[in-house]
Amino acid sequence: MSVVADPDLGEEPREPAGVVPVVVLDDVWRVFPTDPPVEALRAVHLRVDPGEYVAIIGPSGSGKSTLLNVLGLLDRPTGGTYQLDGIDTAALGDRARAAERGRRIGFVFQSFHLLSYRSVEENVMLSELYLGTSRRDRRCRAVEALERVGLGHRLGFSPIRLSGGERQRVAIARALLGEPSLLLCDEPTGNLDSANTAAVLDLFDDLRAQGLTILVITHDTEVAARAQRRVRMVDGQLAEVA
Amino acid sequence: MGAARPRPRLRFADLLDETLAGVFARPARAALTTLGTVLGIASLVATLGISRTAGGQIVGRFDELAATQVTVSARTAGSGSSSRAAATLPWDVELRLDRLNGVVASGAVAEASNPGSLRTVPLIDPQNVTERLVPVFAGSVGLLDAVRGRIATGRWFDAGHVERRDRVAVIGADVADQFGIDRLDRQPGVFIGDEIFTVIGILDAAPRDTGLVQSVIVPFTAGQDRLGITRPDRVVVETVIGAARLVAEQAPVALNPNAAEGLKVTAPRDPARTKDAVQDDVNQLFLLLGLISLVVGAIGIANVTLVTVMERTGEIGLRRALGASRRHIALQFLAESTAMGLVGGIIGATVGIITIVGVAGSREWTPVLDLWLPLAAPFAGAVVGLVAGLYPSVRAARMEPVDALRAGT
Repeated sequence: MSVVADPDLGEEPREPAGVVPVVVLDDVWRVFPTDPPVEALRAVHLRVDPGEYVAIIGPSGSGKSTLLNVLGLLDRPTGGTYQLDGIDTAALGDRARAAERGRRIGFVFQSFHLLSYRSVEENVMLSELYLGTSRRDRRCRAVEALERVGLGHRLGFSPIRLSGGERQRVAIARALLGEPSLLLCDEPTGNLDSANTAAVLDLFDDLRAQGLTILVITHDTEVAARAQRRVRMVDGQLAEVA
Repeated sequence: MGAARPRPRLRFADLLDETLAGVFARPARAALTTLGTVLGIASLVATLGISRTAGGQIVGRFDELAATQVTVSARTAGSGSSSRAAATLPWDVELRLDRLNGVVASGAVAEASNPGSLRTVPLIDPQNVTERLVPVFAGSVGLLDAVRGRIATGRWFDAGHVERRDRVAVIGADVADQFGIDRLDRQPGVFIGDEIFTVIGILDAAPRDTGLVQSVIVPFTAGQDRLGITRPDRVVVETVIGAARLVAEQAPVALNPNAAEGLKVTAPRDPARTKDAVQDDVNQLFLLLGLISLVVGAIGIANVTLVTVMERTGEIGLRRALGASRRHIALQFLAESTAMGLVGGIIGATVGIITIVGVAGSREWTPVLDLWLPLAAPFAGAVVGLVAGLYPSVRAARMEPVDALRAGT
């Protein structure tokens, strides 16, 4: 289960070591054209290497969510370059961005975003729906992913019948499907009590140990403390926290 | 994986799966949404089917009797008591008409003006009437076939009876009942006024001229001799199907070449025109109603799909995050509304056909159904759903994933 960038991609390795960083943000700006214009991201530089576990902390309104949207290919920066797995995302069209988003990024949201009318297993299978893989493969991998997060016994359940912690673990299993290069988590414990928060954070530790690249956005210092590297965002600018 | 093109894909089977799951997520709502389409399609199918059935029925009746019948009678000139026939009809109509192309049978008939009452030979029998006023007709040999008559017992008179001026009579089944005549082997006689006739046959039915069953028919020669009958009142012609109008043109000339314009011909209306008129009457209103309910159904689907899109904003955002392109989102909602329309069309067609059969059954009609109707109805329903889903799915596809994820939970 290697999540190191695929060497078959054909892009020239940019580093002498041959390791392609998962994320490279170079002088990224995101300005919303309101009156007056809002500079949500100002000259952001960020490099995330494979296997890193990074927490982005900062007060609300500091631009954390905007950064996550840019990183998740949900939003385009107004300036600067963003390379994901060595691919310059500015060159990608709308459909190609959707495809890369589906293949390379796993999202974990604060509000889980599970479909209440589908079973746990189907919710996880949804992740590879737009990759065109066969349904049987998808089902196998969904069961595998659910077992990985400790929910192998909840396959046919409706998400409505699960606790908050279990729901978030289902969402993480969904994000893991398709072997993404980057797990993007937006306040993953924001809706959870302390016991469930601990369970989810333990799971992140496990995943990190298995080599997954994780980027968590949070304003919870306890969550941030578990990450190996912390980055603080203030007024659209990023600074490493020692 | 490395060689994969960066294009999001969605398999057809998966799209189908997502569509069904989406529709059946809220079964009650889907059922109520389809109701408009069901009603519209059902009323369209029922309207078209019932009018087709009714039209077929009327044309069918025309075929049976009227469409193959031509009647020729003399016009009357003048008015009141001074009126007289403008042209005369001959008795030898079989000779004149049966040669014409399209004629199956022909016969002439005249009613005796003052025949006197009908009675049997004097016999004291309290169960039967012995004297009664009954219409008396004089006919030619071909009359039986021309009115599609059927003899129950005995026989119809033939050319020999006519030539010999025999005093024989065929009595209608009703008359035979009233006078208690049920067997002819003893050659029963009847008096018409003071003239006696031998009964040689009992007429069971005469679909073209049902009055004959309640009367007495004698050969025209005997009628001339004994009952004061001179000329036929009318000539009845049975034609093959489709020949009636042609025969109607030719018959007057054949019957009376010198005064053909003095004869009045009754021929069936053009069947096609009849059918059109009937269908026009029945259809217009119900077709309009069906179309209106279809439009209402489409608006219903559009409305509910739009509400669904708004409710599922979060789902749309999630799907975009999972790699769905805009067209995948549009496709999904379009497929859902089309599926609802299709199901509505299928149920509507079923309800419509049941209605047709029910109406036809209650009227003792044969249900007539064009084959394309049950096939086109679900298709029409699907088109309604497709059109109704256009705007909501465009709205869904236009949503920005960031906004959709933030708005929906």
